[in-house]
Amino acid sequence: MMAIIKERIPTPERLIEERLQGFMEVNLGYTFELALQEAQRCLQCNPAPCIQGCPVHIDIPGFIKKLRENKEDPKKAVKEALEVIWACNTLPAITGRVCPQEDQCEAPCVMGKVGEPINIGKLERFVADYAREQGIDEELLQEIIPKIEKKKEKVAIIGAGPAGLTCAAELAKDGYQVTIFEALHKPGGVLVYGIPEFRLPNDTIEKELEKLKKLGVEMKTDYIVGRTVTLDELLENYDAVFIGTGAGTPKLPSLPGINLNGIYSANEFLTRVNLMKAYAFPEYDTPIKIGKKVIVIGAGNTAMDAARTARRLGAEVVIAYRRGKEDITARIEEVEHAKEEGVTFEFFLSPMEFIGDENGRVKAVKFMKMKALEERDSKGKRKIVPTGDTTVLEADTVVIAIGKTTSKLLRMTMAKIEADEYGVIKVDEKLMTNIPGVFAGGDAIRGEATVILAMGDGRKAAKSIKEYLEKKANNT
Amino acid sequence: MYEILEKKEIAAKNVMYKIHAPHIAKKVQPGQFVVVRAFENGERVPLTPVTWNRKEGWITLVVFSRGKTTLRMNMELKEGDKILNIAGPLGNPAPMKRFGKILAIGMITGIVEVYPIAKAWQELGNEVITLHIVPEPMILLREELENAVSRHIVESFPLKEGMGMPEIFKELVTRGQAKVKELIEVEKPDLIFMVGPAGGQKAIFDVVKEYGVPMEVDLHPIMVDGTGMCGACRVTIGGEVKFACVDGPSFDAYEVNWEELIARSGFYTDLEKRAMEDYLAKLAQGGVQ
Repeated sequence: MMAIIKERIPTPERLIEERLQGFMEVNLGYTFELALQEAQRCLQCNPAPCIQGCPVHIDIPGFIKKLRENKEDPKKAVKEALEVIWACNTLPAITGRVCPQEDQCEAPCVMGKVGEPINIGKLERFVADYAREQGIDEELLQEIIPKIEKKKEKVAIIGAGPAGLTCAAELAKDGYQVTIFEALHKPGGVLVYGIPEFRLPNDTIEKELEKLKKLGVEMKTDYIVGRTVTLDELLENYDAVFIGTGAGTPKLPSLPGINLNGIYSANEFLTRVNLMKAYAFPEYDTPIKIGKKVIVIGAGNTAMDAARTARRLGAEVVIAYRRGKEDITARIEEVEHAKEEGVTFEFFLSPMEFIGDENGRVKAVKFMKMKALEERDSKGKRKIVPTGDTTVLEADTVVIAIGKTTSKLLRMTMAKIEADEYGVIKVDEKLMTNIPGVFAGGDAIRGEATVILAMGDGRKAAKSIKEYLEKKANNT
Repeated sequence: MYEILEKKEIAAKNVMYKIHAPHIAKKVQPGQFVVVRAFENGERVPLTPVTWNRKEGWITLVVFSRGKTTLRMNMELKEGDKILNIAGPLGNPAPMKRFGKILAIGMITGIVEVYPIAKAWQELGNEVITLHIVPEPMILLREELENAVSRHIVESFPLKEGMGMPEIFKELVTRGQAKVKELIEVEKPDLIFMVGPAGGQKAIFDVVKEYGVPMEVDLHPIMVDGTGMCGACRVTIGGEVKFACVDGPSFDAYEVNWEELIARSGFYTDLEKRAMEDYLAKLAQGGVQ
């Protein structure tokens, strides 16, 4: 029996000075040797609490075991580990990077009780990256594809984000004919327009998507379901439909001055930079205007992404949050990275008014100072109340990152789908909507959640769709 | 990828493209627009289909060389080339109703968007008068409009040497306002509709509101995705924040916060100029294929 190593093996990271020069990925990931050292720390619990903590129930001890078992043959080790992961998750290079592991698989890890939990996310990412670099995923794919028994049923997926992509992958692996309809010019949804490259490189996403194409998934970009093609038309031509349209509409506070120039929704700010590469303007034609002082309002992952993006564009950045430090919703790693990169935090500030100059551009934000009470709200967060004191912070750019709601276009064009007053689609326990054969998942049914929960829904919906189609086939 | 079936310059700085885009041709209605991304490093540009053929699967677009992406399109794209992305149709169709007598105004390239709507309104039994306020070299779709509506009027002027954008704009506004005043008094329209730059729309609205004639405007704020996702195109309508891409593009002129719209429309002017200069400099050096 080996001695227990309490601390996790750290992953190498890019130097801070270097990070601020561009959009290169910050975390460099494990090498095989480092991954192996980390894998050795796993206690191989049975039953394993980490599996329960994972929304898609990846056999985590299982894939870690495969790495250790074949340590003399890295290729074999990674291939077998990848096989275990793929059984539940076809997009590990993405989830390994963006899942909030500390709240999910790593939270109940037994090692966490005696030291630091196993770095599951980084191990998952290692397997995915190593497999890609060495062509192992391609090899595995070529073994899987010939075994797929083609089915005649066709499934339409609306939205090429995490939910839709996962649903598509699962159905394609079972031989269904899958077509994804995506409104933007690139598939990926929030992964390509929202999450910056320093956290999730676009190249990584593209490689993961190529895999889906090889599995036979057809991707139609520039297709706006509701406008380019209606839901009724999809129902005529496909045997089932999955709605994974996410929560794309930004929430903007109804405050004076919200439409001043220089005030961006996080979606617009990140879309300009990530999807349209405004950081390379004028080589890329889409501009972004950022001054010297940027205030980001909000403290979720999107706020961290916007703040760190603004730092890379050369601004001083303040994150203003109406609650305290303990209520930050972003992942710890992202908050740490933001701090390292020079982002400063101001707590208990709630925006009241945006103040503009004579040209209609924002120059400052007036905040109400808040304070926390002992009493807690339904989400377990301390209630906050205004103190009556105000403060004004200068800013030439403001990014609003206080959340998103479901797509308005969806509500306008798919009125037959039952939804609540916020446009959140109602589904049963099988994720089926009020229309038979139409399923939904991800932020479209949750309002706002994480990439992995959306993927979990995609997977669950795929299972329900299979059951639905099998039942339908048996009845006819 | 969408093939360019035909390309021709139809006025100064204005190029008409006939493009194979069956998914859009099948669905587009007057009043709707598309978002075009022509090059890998190009912007997403909202444009209006002018005509379309559902059976043959094509649409036509008129592209005005306004910024770098549009200038590049007009300089670099050839017949047979492919446009990377065209998404749509987006926005709400224009209301197809009988209004009675309609004055539909297009300032400069605004007439491109007016054309399909005016034509459809005329076909529906309205009496449509169209007015194109434009410098002479940029007169567009004259014949098409003459054939489509009850009466087509062109209010134009020759461009004089050394006339800059501010002078041209002032001339457009002065002439436009006088002509609209005259038409309201003589023709007594039941509805006025206008497309053009925000400043021009506001100037014409200032005349219209004196008479209290109902007025609808198609707005063109800065847009990125066009599907309601980014909020770049937000406008204040009757005190409420709306997204022009999903709530519009048509709004009641009396409800629009014009000052805000005009300020927001000009936010990137300096950067647009920089991109254009950068491109022209590269072009002069022969640096762009």
